[in-house]
Amino acid sequence: MRAAAWVAVGGLALAGAGATLLAGANPLEAAGALLRGALGGPQQIAETLVQTASLLFPALAVGFALRGGLFNIGADGQAVAGGLVAGLIGAAWPGAGGFALVAALAGGTLAGGAWGALAGVLRARFGGSEVIATLMLNVLAGLLATYLLSGPLRAPGATGPETAALPESVWLPLLMPGTRLSVALPLALALAAALQIVLRRTIYGFELRAAGLAPETARRAGIDLGAIAFSALSLSGAMAGLGGATIVTGVLHRFDPALSPGYGFIGIAVALVGGLEPARIALSAFGFAILQSGSLTLQAFAHVPKDVIVLLEGLAIVALAGRRAFVARATLPP
Amino acid sequence: MDGFALELREIVKTYPGGVRALDGVDLAVRPRELHALCGENGAGKTTLAAIAAARLQATRGRVTAAGTVGFVPQHPHLVERMRVWENVVLGREPRRGLRLDAVAARERVRNLSARFALPVEPDARIESLDAGAMQRVEILRELAREPAVLILDEPTAALAPGESDALFATLQTLAASGTAILVVTHDLGDIAEYAERITVLRAGRVAARFERGARASEIARAMVGGELPVLATRIDGPTAPCLEVRALSARAGADALHDFDLDVRAGEIVGIAGVEGNGQRALADAVAGLTPYRGTVRLDGRELSAGDPGGRIAAGLRTIPRDRQREGLVLEWTLAENLALGDQRRRPLRRGPFLDREAARARARDVIARFDVRAPSLEARAYALSGGNQQKLLAGRALAARPRLLLACEPTRGIDVGAAALLRSRVIEARNAGVAVLVISLELDELFELADRIVVLFRGTRTGEFARDGFDRARIGAALAGVRAG
Repeated sequence: MRAAAWVAVGGLALAGAGATLLAGANPLEAAGALLRGALGGPQQIAETLVQTASLLFPALAVGFALRGGLFNIGADGQAVAGGLVAGLIGAAWPGAGGFALVAALAGGTLAGGAWGALAGVLRARFGGSEVIATLMLNVLAGLLATYLLSGPLRAPGATGPETAALPESVWLPLLMPGTRLSVALPLALALAAALQIVLRRTIYGFELRAAGLAPETARRAGIDLGAIAFSALSLSGAMAGLGGATIVTGVLHRFDPALSPGYGFIGIAVALVGGLEPARIALSAFGFAILQSGSLTLQAFAHVPKDVIVLLEGLAIVALAGRRAFVARATLPP
Repeated sequence: MDGFALELREIVKTYPGGVRALDGVDLAVRPRELHALCGENGAGKTTLAAIAAARLQATRGRVTAAGTVGFVPQHPHLVERMRVWENVVLGREPRRGLRLDAVAARERVRNLSARFALPVEPDARIESLDAGAMQRVEILRELAREPAVLILDEPTAALAPGESDALFATLQTLAASGTAILVVTHDLGDIAEYAERITVLRAGRVAARFERGARASEIARAMVGGELPVLATRIDGPTAPCLEVRALSARAGADALHDFDLDVRAGEIVGIAGVEGNGQRALADAVAGLTPYRGTVRLDGRELSAGDPGGRIAAGLRTIPRDRQREGLVLEWTLAENLALGDQRRRPLRRGPFLDREAARARARDVIARFDVRAPSLEARAYALSGGNQQKLLAGRALAARPRLLLACEPTRGIDVGAAALLRSRVIEARNAGVAVLVISLELDELFELADRIVVLFRGTRTGEFARDGFDRARIGAALAGVRAG
């Protein structure tokens, strides 16, 4: 199916070129602007890597749950829950330094996990659809955070629903001085590596994959599908929550309810393009980050609306779905 | 066309991954002919049928047909929530303006049903039908397109004994009235009686061709390419109580069991006979802990709780499920992964939180050798195996764990004589070694070969029990029909 893959890539390039022409710009110039914006210098590369980390956490969260047959479309809400708790912890102990940072990340992870666990309980106990539960919990997380920060937990002197700015002692350490590139990226990559091992080597990963691919077979093999749904959605939420915590402590340095502008949804695409394999999801996140961070230059300098990038991301998913048709022709339906 | 209804010339099919399923096969079906295509599992029958029906592309070769080709697959492909008439007209609905003309559609289905002598109830929902009725609906759906050839893949696999005779009689009438019929099957009794010509496939090539009048034993030899394997000898040892079922009432879909008692001793094979839908599924699901029930199920004296299949496995129950693809396998997984399933939490497969991949491969090598699983490699995916080899894999998995109780549901359904004999031998050897075995099968012949005792189920209750020295087709047949005996 290598040929089909190249056809798909070529088709995407053509579609991008076509859309650019329609927008009245030169496709080659646009591609140049995109790449300059994403990879044109140390600053640009650093910013693309920041995007990579921000996309990788929710993408790993979505991909992990999906291996268990569970569609978590609530990574944004889980990131908000995690970011809120991380922001509150980080702002609470200005003098505690490294300890407060670790506590903020751990608290964010737990909060995201708890937010995911809500959907997990609904699914495991009552058979409720996790798609609807996680989607609705997105809205709830945003509103709850806004309420808390406007009311009971309002920071002194705050103008909007934000926590106080975090003291520098609870910022994630930078990898490149003068940029925003922090240890969030190596943290995300370590998570990807750990998930690769969990999925491939552990008994939990084995049971999760069985439940995702063949639930009836898994049930008869003694695998508790409810326990899998609960644990997978909780862990998935925890990953997204950690991602939110790294955005708060590494990028924004305060909590803002808009900290995850659709990363959870793009994360679905990132995870699918990565074939739900953590290592390939990491590569896929880098690819999407190039598009994301290049899209601003594209708009500013080549005068191509950045929605062209959204269009390309959408077409990539369509191409991926179409691949099944090619594969199915050559084999007997099982 | 040389007057053939269907002609396949030098068909070669190589699957991705290099497995050559067909290697230069010629097959011609004449008009008004009932032609049988037989062979062992993995011989290439289903692949050839799918190519003939244009469901699958051949790698090389030529397919010509005198008209459209109808295809009835082994597992029903019907919309379960819809009615019979809706399924039959699906895709070719009669219209009035923009609307579906339901009156005309029902009329069309009734006419087809009368013309081809295939009784169906047009307004029944598919999910309420038994296997035989579903099959009639599928045949009608295909016949509605007036095909030149009708291909049926293993049509008798899901049918009760009496039903397959009725089916073949119908097919014979159909052939006589002009539709050529190609039946893919391993059921030799029916073939010898009804088929006009027989083509036998072995390992992707035509091994032999027969005309009507050939003996079943000749055909069987051509299929296996030698003599039939002999069953393992039963060696009686000491027995002890193992499975004790008391006052069990359970339900599985439309299938129900009422107030049922059963004992299976270690070192004994008990067979459950019955026409499909008389409580077998409810019994199997209750024993396997998959469905809620009233009454008690004890294994080795310990009472088991309902709704806990994992607890059953820990107590030593292993199952060969009735639907191997949906209930037994993860089709996308390798053989080694599939063979680890169910024992992943026990030694030697468990090593701390990890699955010991070397132990899983060792188990796979062992099962593949003992059960003669024909697979390209340990890394082959389960979906790449033929039905018979998938079944050997599941039986091998169930017995590799040295169970206390083996629950085998239709253990040899849809697989060829050679594979069936091998599986039955392994089950008898397990019994000799002291395993308690409960076999649920629609095939009386299978129970005659395997069981020490046969218990007959009718409408969820016991209508007879027969010891091995008292197996009698007539008396068991009466019990199957609800006449209490023994």
